[in-house]
Amino acid sequence: MTFPGIRDKVRAGEPLSLEDGVALYEHANLLEVGTLANEVRERLHGDRTFFNRNMHINATNVCEASCMFCSFARLQPGDPGAYTMSHEEAWERLRARVAAGDAITEIHIVNGLHPGLPFDYYTELLAGLKRIQPSIHLKAFTAVEIFYFAKKFGLSTADVLARLRAAGLDSLPGGGAEIFAARVRKKICDDKCTGDEWLDVHRTAHRSGLRSNCTMLYGTIETVEERVDHMLQLRALQDETGGFQTFIPLAFHPDNNALMKLPGPTGTEDLRTYAVARLLLHNIPHIKAYWIMLGVKTAQTALWFGADDLDGTVQEERIYHMAGAETPQVMSPAEIVRIIRNAGRTPVERDTLYNVVAEGAALATDKPFRRDVRRSLEVVS
Amino acid sequence: MSASATEEFRPAIAAPEALAAMDLFALGRQAAAARDARWNRRGFFVRARAAQDQAILRFPFQDGESDGERLERLAAIAAAMPPPWGIMPAPVGEPFGLDTLRCFALCRLALPGVAHLLADVTTLGPRLAQMAFGFGADELFAPIVAERALRVGANANNPALTRKEAATLLRGAGLIPCERLADGTLQEVPA
Repeated sequence: MTFPGIRDKVRAGEPLSLEDGVALYEHANLLEVGTLANEVRERLHGDRTFFNRNMHINATNVCEASCMFCSFARLQPGDPGAYTMSHEEAWERLRARVAAGDAITEIHIVNGLHPGLPFDYYTELLAGLKRIQPSIHLKAFTAVEIFYFAKKFGLSTADVLARLRAAGLDSLPGGGAEIFAARVRKKICDDKCTGDEWLDVHRTAHRSGLRSNCTMLYGTIETVEERVDHMLQLRALQDETGGFQTFIPLAFHPDNNALMKLPGPTGTEDLRTYAVARLLLHNIPHIKAYWIMLGVKTAQTALWFGADDLDGTVQEERIYHMAGAETPQVMSPAEIVRIIRNAGRTPVERDTLYNVVAEGAALATDKPFRRDVRRSLEVVS
Repeated sequence: MSASATEEFRPAIAAPEALAAMDLFALGRQAAAARDARWNRRGFFVRARAAQDQAILRFPFQDGESDGERLERLAAIAAAMPPPWGIMPAPVGEPFGLDTLRCFALCRLALPGVAHLLADVTTLGPRLAQMAFGFGADELFAPIVAERALRVGANANNPALTRKEAATLLRGAGLIPCERLADGTLQEVPA
């Protein structure tokens, strides 16, 4: 279908097809695709742009899986760079934030698939965090981890989720989806759950009342058709359950891993992927520009190409930084507010479930920012 | 294709108030169209930029400036005779993405007599530099090297690109990559 035809479908609220998605990826004029995505973004959220105050805990990087795009995992305990936090070490990270007066509302927990840890390690990890701050929202364990726990401990997915919920689990992050196409998974992440199994964990979670996010890793060896197919499978599950809150496109970082000969996605590819996602996933409310992975400049620009969320303040992110991410590991709420306002958008602090925590005058205020501009022109060459 | 053949192109200067009123997408489309009218969807890079080459002026900008302030400074450059060969927006401090792209578009549209608008990979990073080509830039300003650098550790911000990487960035931005050779001629880089 031509671009005007796709634009008519979008404006009429009709779902786009696989062919439409591919056509959007191939349309020569990125700004036209961006304008249309922005139209949808503003129809859903106006200028509002969301962020939260959160921290990350990656409790272990020991992982049985050997995904080719991963720079974080170490195969066995004792391997160079391998670590596993004790409960006290993990809990201390939260205590430090609480003692510093940080009003964080969420902890994001993602780990390697550690072959030696008992299930109690995970339940006690959650329970201890809740003891320190009962109101904290624990967004923990990807579908890949949940699937692994079920297999390793001989439980059903529903049982794993029920036990983790009893210990304090509040929602699931969206990681581990990579690309659903079997061809790609066989080459880059053959030893983790399949695309169908990933979707089934989220289906079970949604049916039990949990909300979750969803992701797509792009920029490795997948085709445009495989990206679009991935998004359409997420859209189909969302039609069934309505449990996804946010879609997060994740750009592949090529350093320190087995795929480092690949160039990784470029800036325009990032913006196009955000725009196409907004247009294809009409039934998923939010599109998140994960600044840790995109970089602050690209993430801010994505706020005009379909994204309406910048993620959070984060702290001590390890997974992307071990893959070469050059971003800082933390941003203050005032910095995030300033970046959103500079983009001409309206910042809204949210909790994990998109309840408004603060907006308008109640938000962290900007610090004055004005340095002298050199007015003179400098000859470069 | 000879560079000199097209450098005489001088479209009309857009009214500053009209530029300042445009939204980001409208500015970007206009700026890219102005670039394409002059350079026919070509994007350039140079392997070795000789010191005696054409003058490139750095245009400092930073967060907090209005379009009006920038257009005033650009008007002074537009009035210069002869016009500079190229202009390179240079962020003061860490650049914001959208502000940078808007600045690029303003430069292209307010300086119809300036042939080249350069995106500096060192100050913008490769992602934002590439995006600038959607907003009127026509030339990558980066060291072009023989072998790809592994950008980790102390080398994380190395702006050097191989010829292939430069061509990939330009092609990804929807342009036909062209290398500007030492004798001033242009050589398209095949896909």
